[in-house]
Amino acid sequence: MPKRSMIKAALLSATLFASAPAFAADAGLNDLQIADIAYTAGEIDIGYAKIAVATTHDKDVKAFAETMLRDHQTVNDAASALLAKLKAAPEDNATSQTLEKNAAEKRAQLSALKGAAFDKAYVQNEVSYHQFVNATLQDTLIPATQNAELKSLLTSALGTFREHELHAENLARKLD
Amino acid sequence: MNIHSIAAALLLLAASCAPTPGAAETHVVEISNMAFSPSELHVAVGDTVTWINRDLVPHTATADDGAFDSGSLKTGDSWSYVVKDAGETAYSCSFHPAMTGHIIAR
Repeated sequence: MPKRSMIKAALLSATLFASAPAFAADAGLNDLQIADIAYTAGEIDIGYAKIAVATTHDKDVKAFAETMLRDHQTVNDAASALLAKLKAAPEDNATSQTLEKNAAEKRAQLSALKGAAFDKAYVQNEVSYHQFVNATLQDTLIPATQNAELKSLLTSALGTFREHELHAENLARKLD
Repeated sequence: MNIHSIAAALLLLAASCAPTPGAAETHVVEISNMAFSPSELHVAVGDTVTWINRDLVPHTATADDGAFDSGSLKTGDSWSYVVKDAGETAYSCSFHPAMTGHIIAR
């Protein structure tokens, strides 16, 4: 059932990041891994938004999904441009891989839904996902970032994603 | 300095201090950190409001009552609107509903 595996996914993610600062230090998360995690997290939300744009009939849900596409693409493009400028490439890592694995499960669940059930599931996932990503950015990734420009970009992105979280929460209330 | 140059200087000073009747002003609203700054703007009818997007992501300035719509503003873009009517106009970013502002015109 969708709800059970959502809880499982949330628990898995929570366990991964339970000792967030220690995790970053022990795992020696470097800037290129941090950039990869942030980029992957953005790509994942873009993936969810594409499903939503193709599936929803609710104009507010569609507008929200289009904003997710627009904003996360903008942030990811800026991150890519910064890495290109620094002549660096994002570095794959276990966190990015886990994020992507969980996202593939979620995409399969969402793709099986239609109508109001889809809208509720999509928006509720957006609430949880943004809460999780924002906490990770704030508590783990941004504090561990060494490069000033990357740190500044991630901080600016977090401000935008916080508005997304608010927007998703308001939308969830409307759909309830 | 003689009385004539003092008088001339005083006249020049008075002229530069006196507001030109009916001169329209331009007010700048900066869009940054997911907010309109200032969020509340007091203007005169005939004044211009210029929004400039200093955020990374695109935004709009869209009046609730349909009075104006900047359309999508990319980072660095600006858009101006000449205030036509007195009263209060609430507006928001059509992409980010939590971003709101007010124009109060007299």
